[in-house]
Amino acid sequence: MSRYVLLGLFHEATPTANTIEQLRAVGISDDQVTVMSGMPYRPEMLGRPRHRGRVWRFAIVGALLGAATALFLTVGVWLLYPLVQGGQPITPIPPTLIIAFEVTMLGTMWASFLSMLFENRFPAFKSQLYDPRVTEGHIGVLLEVDEKLADQVEAILKANGAHHFQRVEEKRPLFKPRGGTWQDFKERIAAAIGGPDVGHRKFWLAVLTILVIGGAIGALVPYGVFPISFPTQMENQISIAYEQGPRRAAPAAAVPVQGPVLIAGLPATAPIPANANSLQRGEVLYGVTCIVCHGATGVGNGKLSGFLSPKPADLTSASIQGISDDAIFLVITQGLDAMPSLAENLGVQDRWDVINYVRRLKK
Amino acid sequence: MSERQHDRPIWRHPMPKDEDLAHQIEHEREQHLLLDPRYPLHIDEGVLDPMYRQGRLFWLVCVIVGGLVAAWGATWLVQMFYGLGITGLKRPVMWALYIVNFVYFIGVGHAGTFISAALRVLKVEWRRPISRAAETLTVFALITAAMFPIVHLGRSWKFYWLLPYPNERQIWPSYHSPLLWDLTAILTYLSCSILFAYIALLPDFAMARDHTIGWRHTLYDILSLGWRGTEREWGNQETALNVFSFGIIPVMFSVHTIVSWDFAMTLQPGWHSTVFGPYFVIGALFSGVAAVIMVMAIARKGMRLEYFLRPEHFDGMAKFLLLLSFAWDYFYFNDVLVPWYGQDPVEKTIFALLTGGYVSPIFYLMIFSNVILPAATLWSKRVRTSIPALFVVCLFVQIGMYLERYIIVPVTLGQNYLPFDWGVYTLYLPESLITVGAFALVAFLYLIASRFIPLIPVWEVYEGQVLQGLRRIGRALVKTRAEPD
Repeated sequence: MSRYVLLGLFHEATPTANTIEQLRAVGISDDQVTVMSGMPYRPEMLGRPRHRGRVWRFAIVGALLGAATALFLTVGVWLLYPLVQGGQPITPIPPTLIIAFEVTMLGTMWASFLSMLFENRFPAFKSQLYDPRVTEGHIGVLLEVDEKLADQVEAILKANGAHHFQRVEEKRPLFKPRGGTWQDFKERIAAAIGGPDVGHRKFWLAVLTILVIGGAIGALVPYGVFPISFPTQMENQISIAYEQGPRRAAPAAAVPVQGPVLIAGLPATAPIPANANSLQRGEVLYGVTCIVCHGATGVGNGKLSGFLSPKPADLTSASIQGISDDAIFLVITQGLDAMPSLAENLGVQDRWDVINYVRRLKK
Repeated sequence: MSERQHDRPIWRHPMPKDEDLAHQIEHEREQHLLLDPRYPLHIDEGVLDPMYRQGRLFWLVCVIVGGLVAAWGATWLVQMFYGLGITGLKRPVMWALYIVNFVYFIGVGHAGTFISAALRVLKVEWRRPISRAAETLTVFALITAAMFPIVHLGRSWKFYWLLPYPNERQIWPSYHSPLLWDLTAILTYLSCSILFAYIALLPDFAMARDHTIGWRHTLYDILSLGWRGTEREWGNQETALNVFSFGIIPVMFSVHTIVSWDFAMTLQPGWHSTVFGPYFVIGALFSGVAAVIMVMAIARKGMRLEYFLRPEHFDGMAKFLLLLSFAWDYFYFNDVLVPWYGQDPVEKTIFALLTGGYVSPIFYLMIFSNVILPAATLWSKRVRTSIPALFVVCLFVQIGMYLERYIIVPVTLGQNYLPFDWGVYTLYLPESLITVGAFALVAFLYLIASRFIPLIPVWEVYEGQVLQGLRRIGRALVKTRAEPD
């Protein structure tokens, strides 16, 4: 006995509802009928049972998955690899709440979107029984009947003013049998694998498989399960220690970036003769830059000397006075121990003036 | 009413014999889209026809706008090569125009989803033809905004280091940082806005599939995923739309709050304030609603959608804009009052800079555009229903809101607790080009989309027209609301 799929198009909701009522009287159950329309007619308008979808449940599952992901990112990872930063605890509550909220909503909405597609059997690759006039405001009644009822149903549709009509022979059942017996269960399994509108299941299974396999491979690469032979780890790259040799000699005509002052054994610039002018300038500059540590008499008892360790040098001592002018110049330029470089405060000429003055501090 | 009237298709309007009543019905029909149903095929045509129309003006605008986008790309490449030093960024103003654009475009992206989701939840009837234009604006503005933190990076190509995934570098983003909250919130909001728009688009893609041929038919066949409009499809779609409507509103609030936290979580005077969250959200909605009105006006003119977008819709949106303007005034007053009361020296300096310093022209223009102009004009129904006048008001709101973000970012950042470190930001060419390119990118994406996406949700309009009715009370005709739950 062959089965038929029938599609009738109506202009209006009222004749559609009348048709559905009469079909029910003939003995066609609500499961065998579906209505297609270009706008969401309420089930009550057409006298149809309310559709009970499962999108809500998927949304809740998605929310839970999202929350779990967020907690893993914000709490789980930080407990596995603790790293204190910003003086905050390892798992501070307010940021965790923010991330938990965002990712929970992300999970909820993505899950409801994907479940909507899945529940609607999208994407539908197979050509389905359809009439493009549905999107022009017509209402289509689609139903599946036995051969013996087909003519009767056709008559009902036409009597109610179905202005367009399609009838297709269907080999396999369009609507899955519902019931609880073992036989029903086996039929449902068979329909799930080889039924007429299962294209979307194969599609989503393929997507899921690609995601799982791809994700697993992607996740395993950084752990070296699939070794990739380019040096991404720092330990595999060429390592050179700080100032490790061999060092190349400077070119013949090169000068140090700081200028000729720093070449040992050579005078920095020509020293300035210790005339009255230079000494006076030296005294003033000494009073500005040196006096706070080395003191007015140069014995190292300046006002800051109490805070310093090691103590400022006694400039009047024989050991200081014994070193060369160039060496003193280098100390002023570069600093030594606690003494900072004064190169920014004293120009080259200023330094020679200060040196001339320091020479006069001899006991 | 007779039995026949129930069976009559809604697009047939028999006129009553009573001449006065007929006149009134005619008037109502002119005023309200939902009371003016036409044969659905004509409505479909009204939406699909402009998508085929690519006149000389369209291509001219495309070339200009596309050129500006290309200028963005070229400038960005130059900036990547030479570094951020070629921009006007210097200590202490290390956040400037890129961050202004980021905040501004995120703000513009706020109204679309809000209009669509909140008005759907509240069952406001005039949302029906607007929602698509608003949702697409959200998506494009968010895409543009999301690019700006990347533009602002010194090494733009390493932006993916922000994403948490096990990697050979052994680095993991720190969720203690507001910047990571930002990334999470924007990814959530952007992806969910796209899905939200797509779910509502499915029936319209099916409509387009049924009425096109050639490559467009193939395209819409794929995009509609095989939508037939069965009861199950509509039921699941409605559930999903409900989940999205209720879910995306708190996400929207969170997104701009988190953007404001990028500022408020620092100790910078002028930023470190608890009012920043709601202040930013209201500012975002304010500029966003104004942007949607502008897009509606341009689409109405450019795509000849006069049948769908009527003065009633502009009226509703303008009332919404006025309301948001008041709310924004309140929050801005709060934001100024509290520092003024504290008399902190730095805050006083910033305030003096705004009211009498080099920023004062910007400040007063902002106050004029955001406070005085909306309040002075939008109370009038003549302005609200006049599309050119409303367009000008909205343009000023856009300018005002952009300047407001400019004042918040580079101007405030110039003054901190250490006066030796104060500075003034000056605009250089690279960031100016990139900013112009950002506006061009939104326009460009919108231009392209307007030829591929039905800009009016036909099924929603059709549903509204089926459900809406007129009732006569005494001598007057009254619109009846009937959106069933």
